[in-house]
Amino acid sequence: MVNKELVEEIKKKAKELLEAKQVDLIIGCQRASDGVLAVPVFIYKKEDVEKLVWDAYCVYNLANFLHDFPGQKVGIIAKACDIKSIIVLLQENQLKRENVFIIGVECLGVVEEKKTDKYRVKAEDIVYHEKCRACKPSIPVFYDLLISRGLKKEQPAAEEDIYAEVRKFEAKSLEERFKFWEAEFKRCIRCYACRQVCPMCYCPRCVADQSMPSWFSKAADFSGNLSWNLTRAMHLAGRCIDCGECERACPAGIPLRELNRKLQKEIKEMFNYEAGLSTDKKPLLAGFDKNDPEEFIK
Amino acid sequence: MSEDMQRIITKEELNAKIKELLKENEIIIPKQLLNKGIFYQKILDTDNLVLAEGFATEPIKKFFLEPSSWIIKEGKDLEQAQTKRIIIGARPCEGRGLELLDKIFDAEYKDNFYINNRQRTLIIGLACDGPDRCCFCASMGGSPVEARGMDALLYTPLENFMEHKGNSLTGYTFADKYIVEVITDKAKDIFAPLGKELDAETKKNWQKDKEKRINALQKKISPPESMDDIFQSDYWKEVSQSCLSCGVCTYLCPTCHCFDLVDEARKRLRCYDGCAFADFTLETSGANPRPTKKERYRQRVYHKFDYFKKNFGENLCVGCGRCIRHCPVKIDIAEIVANAPIRL
Repeated sequence: MVNKELVEEIKKKAKELLEAKQVDLIIGCQRASDGVLAVPVFIYKKEDVEKLVWDAYCVYNLANFLHDFPGQKVGIIAKACDIKSIIVLLQENQLKRENVFIIGVECLGVVEEKKTDKYRVKAEDIVYHEKCRACKPSIPVFYDLLISRGLKKEQPAAEEDIYAEVRKFEAKSLEERFKFWEAEFKRCIRCYACRQVCPMCYCPRCVADQSMPSWFSKAADFSGNLSWNLTRAMHLAGRCIDCGECERACPAGIPLRELNRKLQKEIKEMFNYEAGLSTDKKPLLAGFDKNDPEEFIK
Repeated sequence: MSEDMQRIITKEELNAKIKELLKENEIIIPKQLLNKGIFYQKILDTDNLVLAEGFATEPIKKFFLEPSSWIIKEGKDLEQAQTKRIIIGARPCEGRGLELLDKIFDAEYKDNFYINNRQRTLIIGLACDGPDRCCFCASMGGSPVEARGMDALLYTPLENFMEHKGNSLTGYTFADKYIVEVITDKAKDIFAPLGKELDAETKKNWQKDKEKRINALQKKISPPESMDDIFQSDYWKEVSQSCLSCGVCTYLCPTCHCFDLVDEARKRLRCYDGCAFADFTLETSGANPRPTKKERYRQRVYHKFDYFKKNFGENLCVGCGRCIRHCPVKIDIAEIVANAPIRL
């Protein structure tokens, strides 16, 4: 799991970038004080590059922190998920390309924190995140600098239908589906961790925080929770790259990825569009194509 | 309360009692939802009742200071709920959290909603048998085996006591009998007819076992006496850099109690609010006295480990570890407080 060569290479490159003043800081991960987990770290001084680590515990989508450093040149140690997010942020003019230096790193998958007893696993028992199944090992395709052992090529996506679970759920009756989400949303405590952890949720004033007018109830009851969770999901349509951070952050264990993936599937099937693949493409909802489906116009 | 009362009761006796109590009370226990966490839920019967399920994500605070409650409707104060409730399986840190909240909502200022919720609820706690790595209650003047803030406390059987399990979040303990320590008269009514008294031998072992459980806590900190000198330190910027400004730590904290009043369609709502949110201190003018994560995170630390201590004599933290366990970026407040550069 831990690949020493990769980590040493990351440290070396990070040091070079800081020394050459190509970047003001580098965002990466360091070991948590428990010696097992990893936490985000912000490196300003070249001496500190020794803190950097790279393994399956580096679960975070670090692209989320890019908003915190306007005007600065930021180096980011990024896996494929983070890079897809950066692509969307570039497409949406939230970042200046010259202000971000992407150190793309081969990713072997990250742990599924909710399904792993974080402290008791042996390397071989790690429960990898479901999102990584079709992806790992993943070598980023968009970067300024690539760190990879290059031993394994990116595997073509498996033949299996990646939306099989979504389809299974769709096949259920309306009542069943509503009952399922009612039970899930009831647990929502409106802590907005899903929003705060999402690199795509960058609105300066979120609709959920507005009170003049108030668009939906602030009460953590079913009606308010339903409005919040669906608004969040809809606002990510065509933008979510399925990093799964919202679901990981949710203390109530709401399966938010299932909502995101439903929208992802609709968009893939209707517009043949996937978010986060190329900076040359216009964001889906900012574009128009005369071949777009228009059955809804009657 | 007259004298202490301790009984040994069987699981069957307890279940039968709960069944009886269900007729006139709402009964709430923590239940595990696979891969989602542990949440308090109302139970309707006592079938498949499992009492020891690690600790709940949300503490019992939510039954007293509700996440959101309507306090005025159609221009009138809302009637206070009357249903009697019994919460079974709350952990000592949650009870202690209520003791601290009592200092705010049932002291100089009397909060009718909170007090009513306190009065209509009986709490039967469950002593912890294995802390996880985020637990540090003993460092905050608490203990995994004390009954403060609660009406009674159950102990799982001594012979089942396990050495430190590493992470009790996923551990189940099925107990066939309990020691119950009865604190209040309300709880005495329930437990006096049940089980038998403890013999001297069991009492002795029980004391030893309590010590063992306290010693199982690995995380130990000693919060600084005063943080007056480091208010302006860059330390706060450094430690708050990865903060996402979400509400996990404050909402899940057994002692955080800030709320917001919201008017929605002729109703007034009181709902949780938290100092980590960027708009917590946003003023109408657009000015924000806590504009960055540094000021906001520092506020949380100072409220817990400085201001509250100056006003009420103890820290506003029970060491339950929820804010550490559930923080999306694993910020560790215990570590931050312990490492505060007080000799700057």
